[in-house]
Amino acid sequence: MNLSELKENSEAVISGIAGDARFISRITSIGLTPGCHVQIIKNDKNRPVLLYSRDTMIAVNRRECTGITVTEVRK
Amino acid sequence: MSATIALLGQPNSGKSTLFNALTGLRQHVGNWPGKTVEKKEGTFTHKGDTYSVADLPGSYSMSANSDEEVITRDFIASGKADVVCILADSSQLERSLFMLADYAGLSAPCFLVLNMADVAKEQGKKIDANKIEQKLGIPVMLFSATDTKSYDIFYATLERAIKEKSHINVSALEAEYQKIDGYQDIQQRISDCTIPGYTPMWLTVKILEHDKVVTAKLKNALPDEVMKHIEQQTKSSETAIAAGECKFNWIDSILSGAVTETKTKTTLGRLDRIYTHKFWGKPAVVLTVLLGLLASFIPALPIMGIGSGVDMVNGMIRSSLMETGTSAFLTGLLCDVLIQSLSYVIKMLGFVFGVTLVFGLLEEVGVMARISYVFDNTMGKLGLQGKSVMPFLVSFGCTMGGAAGARVIDNWGQKVLTIALAWAVPCGAAWAIIPMLSTVFFGAGAPLVIVALLLVMILHMWITAKIFGRKLVKTEDKCGMIMELPPYHKPKWGALMRYVFGRTKDTFFRVVKVVLLVCGIFWLLSYGGSTGENSILEKFGLAIEPVTKFFGMPWQLFLAFIASSVGKEGAVGVITALYSGGSIGTAFSEAMAGGARAANLNELLLANVTRPEALAFIFAITFNLPCVVALAATYQEIHSVKWTLKIALYYTVSALLLGCIAYHIGMLIW
Repeated sequence: MNLSELKENSEAVISGIAGDARFISRITSIGLTPGCHVQIIKNDKNRPVLLYSRDTMIAVNRRECTGITVTEVRK
Repeated sequence: MSATIALLGQPNSGKSTLFNALTGLRQHVGNWPGKTVEKKEGTFTHKGDTYSVADLPGSYSMSANSDEEVITRDFIASGKADVVCILADSSQLERSLFMLADYAGLSAPCFLVLNMADVAKEQGKKIDANKIEQKLGIPVMLFSATDTKSYDIFYATLERAIKEKSHINVSALEAEYQKIDGYQDIQQRISDCTIPGYTPMWLTVKILEHDKVVTAKLKNALPDEVMKHIEQQTKSSETAIAAGECKFNWIDSILSGAVTETKTKTTLGRLDRIYTHKFWGKPAVVLTVLLGLLASFIPALPIMGIGSGVDMVNGMIRSSLMETGTSAFLTGLLCDVLIQSLSYVIKMLGFVFGVTLVFGLLEEVGVMARISYVFDNTMGKLGLQGKSVMPFLVSFGCTMGGAAGARVIDNWGQKVLTIALAWAVPCGAAWAIIPMLSTVFFGAGAPLVIVALLLVMILHMWITAKIFGRKLVKTEDKCGMIMELPPYHKPKWGALMRYVFGRTKDTFFRVVKVVLLVCGIFWLLSYGGSTGENSILEKFGLAIEPVTKFFGMPWQLFLAFIASSVGKEGAVGVITALYSGGSIGTAFSEAMAGGARAANLNELLLANVTRPEALAFIFAITFNLPCVVALAATYQEIHSVKWTLKIALYYTVSALLLGCIAYHIGMLIW
């Protein structure tokens, strides 16, 4: 599943990133890399996904989310 | 001694605050040579030594994603800086040290400032800067901009870094990189002098990350077969992802044992729950901006008062000059051009001051990022960032304020496009005359005209975004937001105020030149001479009346339209002068100074102008270029004569077209 399919308050680990060099550079520099733990704070339609990772609240546009695959972590 | 320091840091690392605090009013905003990127430099003295500071543009990394990032790394590699001060946010060390990891391997000496130490402390994090320093091999210090003691430590650390010429110890990082397939193979083929300023390790990693600029440079520096061999190993995107992982692994190893924290569950604060709310988010943002605008009037009013004072003095000078029999030409030049221009600029400068202060505050406190989040989707449709909504809202008050507010947009093309669209928003001056004109001609139908204007505004912005967007916003910049929403910070008032004063001063000097020039030309063209014969402008208006008639404007209205490009309020003065006989130049400047409208204005208008013509005129001046001060402010923000003129020409032509359409629709109705 990709990042935008996660429900609010769920937690996941990033399993893969796919896209052009620019996308990879942008997503890496904000701290999202494979193996990285994320917690979804908000996921409303027509809004970027709001998540928490590496001590940082990050907003990721929904279209960009499709390049980020995740595995949900059951709590 | 004198030394040059470069400041480097991700957004929200407190870089601008430090820059402003260090340099105060001794800063200068210009352009990087040949680029549209803003160059901020300043100086300060400490213990008798002079330091110059370069605030490096740039975003999250040292990759070639934008002009800013390329400029930043070229500047560092050029060796112009004696030392680079890298900033990181202590409250989110792991993520914000990425810039340091990406920097490692550049040859300029550096030191690390862990900013926002106060925020980290509040979060229960304990950071051992000494331990980090030992592992990195460069001076490392904890810093908090709101603490005055921090600055003494900062100066001491700076001196130490310059003396030691300290470099990051990269052996552990390189060990990480060596695990990537192809790293060693490529690295061996590059030497220290392949591209000066960059180490083979750094270049190799950029190749693995598919950095276009580095790849192109290496193509020039290396033999073809070597380059071919290198490119074969970097085909997949896996190497780029792996390089990112290496950097974070290295950061983890640096931080392990140096940071202790109490893990807490993260939830949204009360304010964030409102801003990020599905329904209330947008109203909350708009309300915040509007309240901010109102608040900005408090500091703006005294400045605007000075402008009105200049008007009064101007009136006195004018009458005393006329009494003493000074020539009309000299009086006009002095009162209608020189003093009048000064008064326009000062009045609108109040707005710039207020908007810069309020926007600066919103950005520093962290609200700006929430605004970006809420409007990301809507503004994305125009090819813009969420923040662009703010200049639009401000432009309902003053387009110059909107242009000044567009400073918060970090991508040049999107900034230009934002300002270009903000011009379509009717400003305060338009709101002062359009309802009046509409009521005179359409009575109870006036609200309909206003609604039509607002609808046309939205359509206008959409079409303008399509027309200019293709050139200004590259496809790769259209990407949606990937951005940090920083924790709320307390503002550092001193640094903020110094920045606002500096910015306002800069704007004043740049804008005044353009305004004087344009007002001077307009005045010369409208000057009728002492005998009261027709001015060049009137002759021109009469000559092309057959053409302007098609657009729905008799020559008098067309000249008023031209005058409205200089200032909208002035257009009414020009109409009065032309229909009742009088000097255009004087009538224009008196109307601009807020002089009383002619008592018989309504009769004059109704007797001389038909309803379709009035409709054409209303549409044409509403969507004409806002005023000469907005034009100058636009130039000040976007640093491009070409684009400023392009936008101005576009607005003149499109306003005439809109007027033409309105006229012909009006002809069908009446």
